[in-house]
Amino acid sequence: MRTADLELAARCRAGDADAFEELYRQHARRLFSLVVRMVGSTADAEDLVQEVFLQAHRTLAGFRGDSTLGTWLYRLTMNRCLDHLRGRQAKMSRATASLDDEDAAEPMAPVVPSAISRMDLEKAIAALPPGSRAAFLLHDVEGFEHQEVAEILGVSEGTSKSQVHKARLKLRAMLRR
Amino acid sequence: MNCESYEDLLGDYVDGARASNRPGGERLAAFERHLAGCARCQALVADFTSIRGAASTLDEQLPPPRLWARIAASIEEQRRRPWWQRAFGAVPAWAPVAAAASLAVLIAAATWLAWTHEPTPAPQQTAGASAEPGGVAVEQHYEAAIAGLQQLAESRDASLDPETRAVLKENLAVLDRAISESRAALADEPANALAQESLLDALDTKVALLQDTVALATDTGTVPDDAAAAAKELNQ
Repeated sequence: MRTADLELAARCRAGDADAFEELYRQHARRLFSLVVRMVGSTADAEDLVQEVFLQAHRTLAGFRGDSTLGTWLYRLTMNRCLDHLRGRQAKMSRATASLDDEDAAEPMAPVVPSAISRMDLEKAIAALPPGSRAAFLLHDVEGFEHQEVAEILGVSEGTSKSQVHKARLKLRAMLRR
Repeated sequence: MNCESYEDLLGDYVDGARASNRPGGERLAAFERHLAGCARCQALVADFTSIRGAASTLDEQLPPPRLWARIAASIEEQRRRPWWQRAFGAVPAWAPVAAAASLAVLIAAATWLAWTHEPTPAPQQTAGASAEPGGVAVEQHYEAAIAGLQQLAESRDASLDPETRAVLKENLAVLDRAISESRAALADEPANALAQESLLDALDTKVALLQDTVALATDTGTVPDDAAAAAKELNQ
């Protein structure tokens, strides 16, 4: 895998336009879905994915094969999404305090329906704070291990676990029957 | 042990970890015993399992076909830009830190443009004799900018992580070699336009790298991966 990534990166660096398109085709679908869920808008997601691939094109020389090209692209993507959300959050001063401070009594029996509606789940994910949303999307939706989530987000594995736990708790509160 | 002390293991358990398949899983075994008698944790495991299962089946959203066309067009547009637009086109928001140095670079660029638009010397004059004074002036502007930035970068060096510092140092060494080689080529052949351009490009890139270094060290004290990757770009 790493060898194939290094070869593809080398072809991209050499100015092979087909190689860069191949890179895009390999990863754009998953990245686009992730960005739409991170920022909540397909129009913003288009702009951000475009910026990510342009940044990747400029900085491919820095890719040494320490991680897979996919993980490297996810890292660029999540950095860009979190920057975007930080800017937007500062502008809108949108508070998530009511959600963060929620202190509902701990249920002693399952409260989430066994068949969760996708639409309800999408809405609930969109309401998560950016940090736990990022970790949850990477781990539970994209299927990355905590070690990979940590690498992508530049945090420790323990932080990844903690963020996913917080996300699941908040989703549980939002998806109660 | 109370429920909170098992928080990390509860997540692992939902993800499929079991004491029977994890070497040295004593804590997990303890959690499994706790779980057998704890309704609260059983409810959490059931709900988290439902959430995880539903999350893994969410649909992919397809990017519109126009997205690749937009990306390809932007790459082509960037490729066609003249070198000075590529170099000065994207000034980052932290620019005030290095504003003085940037100004010096702009002066250098202006001098360079003026120099390159001077009337062509008469055939009996040697090109080197006419080119050298302008080239020296441009270089001096760059050197002044570089000296100022280097001082700023060194004063903030400690806030960079060792890996980034090593990459930046390596990149500066690459640029210094390019500068030395261009100068050596110009010493042999002062009118060599390619060597002149290479020298100015290398000086220009060094200014940009030092600006990046100052920005990385100034922003937060932690280096974003994409910025570090951008710094590595010079290694090619």
